[in-house]
Amino acid sequence: MTATNQHLFADTKLLKVSLTSQTSKELPLSSTDFTHFLGGRGLGVKLVYDAVTPEIAPLSSDNLLVFAIGPLTATIAPTAGRTAIITKSPLTGTIFDSNVGGYFGPQLRRAGYAALIIEGRASSPVYLWINDGKIEFRSAKGIWGKEVSPSTDLILEKTDSKAQVACIGPAGENQVKLAAIMTDKHRAAGRGGVGAVMGSKNLKGVVVKGTQKVAVANTEQLDKVITRVRRLIKKDSITNKSLPVYGTPVLVNLANEYGLLPTHNFQEGTFNDAEGVSGEKLLERLFVKRYHCFGCPIGCGRISRAYDEEGGGPEYETLWALGPQCGINDLEWIAAANFRCNELGLDTISLGSTLGCAMELVQKGKLKAPLKFGETEGLMELIDDVALSHGLGAELGEGSKAFSTRYNAPELSMNVKGLELPAYDPRGVQGHALSYATSNRGGCHLRAYLIGPEILGSPVLVDRDRTEGKAGLVVLFQNLSAAMDSLVLCRFTTFAFTVEDYADLLAAATGLPIGGQELLRIGERIWNLERLFNLREGFSSKDDSLPPRFSTPLPEGGSRNRIAHLDEMLPEYYQLRGWDKKGQPTQTRLKKLNLA
Amino acid sequence: MPVTVEALAKLIDHTRLKPETKRAKIQELCEEALAYEFASVCINPVHVEYAAELLKGSSVDVCCVVGFPLGATMSEVKAFETKESIRKGATEVDMVINVGALRDENYDLVRSDIEAVVEAADGKIVKVILETGLLIDDQKRKGCILSKEAGAHFVKTSTGFGPMGATPDDVRLMRKTVGSKMGVKAAGGIRSFKDALRLIDAGATRLGTSSGVAIVEGYRWAGYSDAWLEPDKPCWTCPSRQASLGKQPKEVYLWYKERCVTCPHREQNIFND
Repeated sequence: MTATNQHLFADTKLLKVSLTSQTSKELPLSSTDFTHFLGGRGLGVKLVYDAVTPEIAPLSSDNLLVFAIGPLTATIAPTAGRTAIITKSPLTGTIFDSNVGGYFGPQLRRAGYAALIIEGRASSPVYLWINDGKIEFRSAKGIWGKEVSPSTDLILEKTDSKAQVACIGPAGENQVKLAAIMTDKHRAAGRGGVGAVMGSKNLKGVVVKGTQKVAVANTEQLDKVITRVRRLIKKDSITNKSLPVYGTPVLVNLANEYGLLPTHNFQEGTFNDAEGVSGEKLLERLFVKRYHCFGCPIGCGRISRAYDEEGGGPEYETLWALGPQCGINDLEWIAAANFRCNELGLDTISLGSTLGCAMELVQKGKLKAPLKFGETEGLMELIDDVALSHGLGAELGEGSKAFSTRYNAPELSMNVKGLELPAYDPRGVQGHALSYATSNRGGCHLRAYLIGPEILGSPVLVDRDRTEGKAGLVVLFQNLSAAMDSLVLCRFTTFAFTVEDYADLLAAATGLPIGGQELLRIGERIWNLERLFNLREGFSSKDDSLPPRFSTPLPEGGSRNRIAHLDEMLPEYYQLRGWDKKGQPTQTRLKKLNLA
Repeated sequence: MPVTVEALAKLIDHTRLKPETKRAKIQELCEEALAYEFASVCINPVHVEYAAELLKGSSVDVCCVVGFPLGATMSEVKAFETKESIRKGATEVDMVINVGALRDENYDLVRSDIEAVVEAADGKIVKVILETGLLIDDQKRKGCILSKEAGAHFVKTSTGFGPMGATPDDVRLMRKTVGSKMGVKAAGGIRSFKDALRLIDAGATRLGTSSGVAIVEGYRWAGYSDAWLEPDKPCWTCPSRQASLGKQPKEVYLWYKERCVTCPHREQNIFND
């Protein structure tokens, strides 16, 4: 495929800013980068791969921080409002993309940019103001040190109330490795410590307003595809019923029933009080209203009330991380802790997982600290300490891998490649286990969400205990997810759309002639480039592994007696990827992908 | 892929039989049937006229259920329902067999009940729903034979309101009993393309489902990986797994459960997953 400027989006510019020199310049999006990587995650990965070499430390000024949107952003395609943030992660050392909803991405697109590339470090805290083509570096004096909501309000007050802000809280300022970048006050680019990278650059926030019209190549064709995909969203029970009614917390009871709800730091897969922290209970007790990201007909977001305070969330992963993972059954406390994390700019998954790890260290007598499974006393203050990098909080802020190693029990950290695992015990879902182990950004449920077919039956139910065929499904979903993150669309669309639908949306919006197989090939290219980055950083097949705990059977519940059978799937996975036995992409495969 | 996406769609009776169905849902059903080129829309008699109007001139049939869902109305009522439905535009009729009479071995009554509908249908396709979940295998076989003798065109597994949905075991048995020239419709609990393919493989020539769109759309994924079609645990598709003492006559329930004890897959029947 060759792109020309007639292929819409190919003519969108990249904005490169140096915080060191406080200068900016516009660069063209090369047609090759567009056709090979599209935008969003793919484009960001390419930019980071080219510029960030192994000697560049994640929190050094030479690391890049890329905000990227895709060819569907701000169009009428459903869920086309997300933003990908790409960098080298201070938590994992891998390439990392963190994806966030809200309304930031469309403003960047309307300002005329496919990506914002941030390099260098400001001599004192600043925020960046992008007002269509006008770029300003403004002092963050009076904003630095403030939490996310007041920071957002202050920045908007000083710029334009119709602009959108992506900013860090105290956690990011203190370069805590669990720090998130927040948009719309409560939507988090949570994972991997991307907020710490922003903090290391002395960048408090990016505020952007765009007024340009986003054109599409073939309006009639796009309308046709949109009619179809909207109908599919309406037909699907997950996107039309479960998510709008309960949000992602609908998964609590389901995961618990299947014995997949990690409890007490993954020591068990069922939580006795799951009902009390479920989506159903959230709806009954704390629900205020739904929240929709830009252009989203699903509306899975929640606004909740806890202790007379309103805020965004909590999502399923947060309910788990600050709930069953720590043995906590107090729903209102969990919601309030989630609000606190949003204000501090903390990733709730890694935070909760690290707290659970610390609680188990205490349980096993390896750490003396006032922490106990199920008890919330003092925990809110400890969360503040994590963000402020104080005392035990500072140690916890390094993430569970470093924390458990510090106390000579690395086996108690539930991570892959340094990233804490999310809310599904892999022992009861073999494909998802493989997905965790092979994820390029570490323990993540979103690189290939095999919970879809293995538990939810989407698009069809497959035997969750079988290992045969799972490598193929993981590869398929990893490639599709990489492509989807480059368009950029929300992962929840996969419950309703087929592969061709994504290709059809892209083709109609840009004019780029593309089908499902070509789209997957782009995803595969992105996946391999991420792999090459990680190999260059010193990662190897040894890192495609799971914590030793998952070789021990779960004692009870819906996944009792099961372990993760990674060794039965990994060789086939490498083979399907076109990688050698050491997990290195072969030259033949790289040539096919135009990466050699 | 064993069949094309289009061919799979052509086997589906796009179904909406819930009592709370509003006209807007019937309209949606018909629009989807036209878009996907399903075999028919399968609806309750009160919606026939409206659906026939919406589908006029298309290749999509209007299939109407009769004596539904219990099959316990009088033959005269079933015949009247059939006649009226056809007058209003139905081109296919799915009637429920007199299940009680079949279990009573009152075969003349069962046969004449079907004959009354076949006659009232005046040459239009008649499918006979056995409600297999209320029967043991010998009764299912007898129901098939009587349906064939009475001149019906299809035998059909279930209403979707009974104790069990369609299973490959039942479809296989029905196909073997009626031979290759009579139709076999699988209906009830068909929610995914994998369910659909299993039933087609067992001998079904028509599928009744309210998940037609999901089945066809889901089937598109099969073009991207063979892994979707990896076999599942045998118990997943076994009718004995679906047996329910609360919904079935005791002797029928026990008949199903006794099969588990001698099943060659019994070693795998450990936990309910």
